[in-house]
Amino acid sequence: MKLMYDLPKADEEAFLAASESGEKRMYCLPFDILEDEFVKGFMMFTDKSVYKLLDGKLLFKYDYSELSDFFTEMMYGSVGFYAKRNGNTELLCRFISGKNLPRYSVVVGGCEALCDAARHKKSAPEPLESNEPERYCPNCGRPFLLHTKICPFCRNNKAIYKKLWNMTRGLHLMMMVPLFTAIISIIFRFILPFVQKTAIDKYILNDERADNYLLHFIVIIVAIVTLDIAHRAINVIQGRISVISGNRFTRTLRAVLFEKIQMLSMNSISAKTPGDLMGRINNDVSVVQNFVTHLLPTYFGQLFSFILALTLLLWLNPLMCLFVFIPIPIAIYSIAKFRSTMQRRHVHSWLRGQKTNHLLQDVLNGVRVVKSYGNEQREIDAFNKTTQNQAVIDESNAKVFDTVFPILGFVVRFGSYLIMLYGNWLLFHGTMKPGELNQFNSYSGIIYEPLMQITQIPRNITNFITSLSKIFEIIEEEPDVRDADFPENLNIKGNVEIKDVTFGYETYNPVLKNINLSVKAGEMVGLVGHSGCGKTTLINLIMRLYEINSGAIEIDGVNIKDISQNSLRTQIGVVLQETHLFSGSVRDNIRYSKPHATNAEVIAAAKAANAHDFIINLPEGYNTMVGEKGFSLSGGERQRVAIARALIHNPKILILDEATAALDTETEKLIQDAINRLAVGRTTFAIAHRLSTLRNADKILVLDHGNVVEFGTHKELLDKRGYYFKLVMAQKKAAEDGVELDD
Amino acid sequence: MADEKLLNEETEEEKDIFYKRASVDLTPENAKFTASKGGLISLELTHPDGKKEFFERIVAIRAFPITDPDFYISIREPDGKNKEKGSEIGLIEDIHIFDAETVKLLNSELDRRYFTPKIQKVVSLKEKLGQNYWEVVTDAGDFSFVIRNSGSNIRTLEDGRVLLFDIDGNCFEISDPEKLDKASFKKIEIYL
Repeated sequence: MKLMYDLPKADEEAFLAASESGEKRMYCLPFDILEDEFVKGFMMFTDKSVYKLLDGKLLFKYDYSELSDFFTEMMYGSVGFYAKRNGNTELLCRFISGKNLPRYSVVVGGCEALCDAARHKKSAPEPLESNEPERYCPNCGRPFLLHTKICPFCRNNKAIYKKLWNMTRGLHLMMMVPLFTAIISIIFRFILPFVQKTAIDKYILNDERADNYLLHFIVIIVAIVTLDIAHRAINVIQGRISVISGNRFTRTLRAVLFEKIQMLSMNSISAKTPGDLMGRINNDVSVVQNFVTHLLPTYFGQLFSFILALTLLLWLNPLMCLFVFIPIPIAIYSIAKFRSTMQRRHVHSWLRGQKTNHLLQDVLNGVRVVKSYGNEQREIDAFNKTTQNQAVIDESNAKVFDTVFPILGFVVRFGSYLIMLYGNWLLFHGTMKPGELNQFNSYSGIIYEPLMQITQIPRNITNFITSLSKIFEIIEEEPDVRDADFPENLNIKGNVEIKDVTFGYETYNPVLKNINLSVKAGEMVGLVGHSGCGKTTLINLIMRLYEINSGAIEIDGVNIKDISQNSLRTQIGVVLQETHLFSGSVRDNIRYSKPHATNAEVIAAAKAANAHDFIINLPEGYNTMVGEKGFSLSGGERQRVAIARALIHNPKILILDEATAALDTETEKLIQDAINRLAVGRTTFAIAHRLSTLRNADKILVLDHGNVVEFGTHKELLDKRGYYFKLVMAQKKAAEDGVELDD
Repeated sequence: MADEKLLNEETEEEKDIFYKRASVDLTPENAKFTASKGGLISLELTHPDGKKEFFERIVAIRAFPITDPDFYISIREPDGKNKEKGSEIGLIEDIHIFDAETVKLLNSELDRRYFTPKIQKVVSLKEKLGQNYWEVVTDAGDFSFVIRNSGSNIRTLEDGRVLLFDIDGNCFEISDPEKLDKASFKKIEIYL
């Protein structure tokens, strides 16, 4: 994110007048609110002072020597940036949180460093940087679409088309086919009225019968039938080919996308919701496919037939052609107008529908609460009110649509009435033949056809480009956790060394600060601390799901960045609190990490996890289907399957993240037994809710706000009477009171 | 076992974990609010035993900012930068029991916190790909903002007021949509 904004000219002058020459500019950030007005002001941070500038005026200049204790405080929408000046808290400026909070959060740290330097008369440190991605378009300042870096107002459409062209290289010929068939189909459509004209003028309405009149007439009829059949045959072929090419297109795009998503690091994946990713694989690909294989040939065909019809009309009768065009601007105008009304009304009805849905979901989910408080009537009334509201809107919409559509149809067809009038006049005077008039009418009909759709084209193109941009955004994302150029396939023994590790999901907000830890192979380390203190983050880093900001984690003396991700993860076993079982049999789930494990291995793992006995009693034993649509296992049973899964590939490092939380004591005992068995001879990192489960740990690491506060054995830490002691006490007290502690 | 013995002892540390400042009812008798040197609010609190406690800066939060802004105002220690939420010093049940000057002082802080510009005119409202781009005139000046999920981020209250929440967390109010000019009302009508 940008931390150095350019000052507007007036502010720049004010700043230059107030500052000394040679002051180094460190940061320059906008602020948005002053008193109760929106403003566009700037905070300039140099190596000596802080300046507040607004519309060419200097509001204040404070030296770092007067300032201390910088912080930001969330208000309601806006955020205050505060500091202590000579010991008194002062509000330096206010800004809008979404736009600027990540920037100010970095600058808070920067200001502390500058104050420190000023107090100790040291030279100023280098300006900090923010590697947070920008959420607003640098071009126009509008926000990007959710979870993307796409600005719907400023994107480069040409580049996107080019990328699509390059990506679908093998499909070009296939994609061209619908265009060609569309042209052929149109040509047939144009020949038909021509033949009809000949039939009408030469034979049907001609009194002078030629000798072989009947034969000629039959030939014409046959020609018409043949043309019709050919036209339909072409349409069949076009339909089939566009389905085939559409499917190939979709498959190619989906495959590329899915592969890419699997390759991305946790960091980029967790920035997007599963729903968003699913949307990109399903909806966005469909939108693109529909456009390329369906809409594009249609538009192309319509453009082609429009031009062709226009040429023919001009050639047939230029004056009459004028009548065709008179109503077109009116028609386009009224269609555009009507579409925007329709759009508004649809949105209105949709929003109301959403409200009804929302209410239904809310009440049906909470039906137990409704019943137990006897509030049925109130909910019935609320529901009736909402549906009533929706009905009113829908009714009024239906009325409007049903009136306007026929009127619109009349307006669009108005030209053909003019043609009829003029044509009949020509017929009457004998300057035009009936067949010619019929031909003319057919062609003018072709011109009117695309009119109804013309106003939808911009919207369709916008949707297409957006979906395409979203797809390319994923495809082009560089995974931030990557294997080194020559990754090592390490045979892990289990010595883990954590050296001065600092990490934050957003760099300005470190979750772990300078962590140092040394674990010997086979040791069990318990991680303890309040929720949010960084326990789970630490094990995520050991698994290398995220890249460390600074410092290093070494396994057997090798930096994990140099170990191939594959070899690292196949030697780590993980049991999490929330166990995800995939749809499939119990056996499939147990051997997820080792797909070719034998049945004997599966049973051995299940036995070690205390899971064998309950699995045997399932209806189909190890073949019982579990997962979303399968047999539902209890929390403790799922947990034991997960332990078996972690155990089967004989990991050297074992990670247990709250594996026994939320289970009853008896189940916990069973699982604890399994874990104890599991941990023997493996380096184990265990996060536990109940401190009693860590009694067997060799070492206990106590974390608080991302810092290591204590490290030692259970007994050492109790003797120390420090943080760990307090935690144990608190839990003991809670247990005595019969309350489970939340963290 | 030594551990067991330790676990059974009541200690000072143990009390310390469960210590939480007891919130008191704040009245003109026990609470004296003054403007701080930094332009914010200081509080001098008198405890029942006559002991005085001074807070250089306090934070004021409304319990019912939308329906009853003048009642149940929580006076708290600042969060500070260690991200530990500051604890409640006390509650003001009704702001009007204080003298006018104090009310003004407290409201200056509260109005800043609950900064909710009132929309006077909707200049333009465009929808693009599920985002609504608003350009408005408010009593705090002209402003542009973006709303996503207009279904849930535009709320009509029972008293007829409409609250709008943009993607940056700003809140805007339309006091009475029917009193807006016709063109503005037409633009927002479908969201009400």
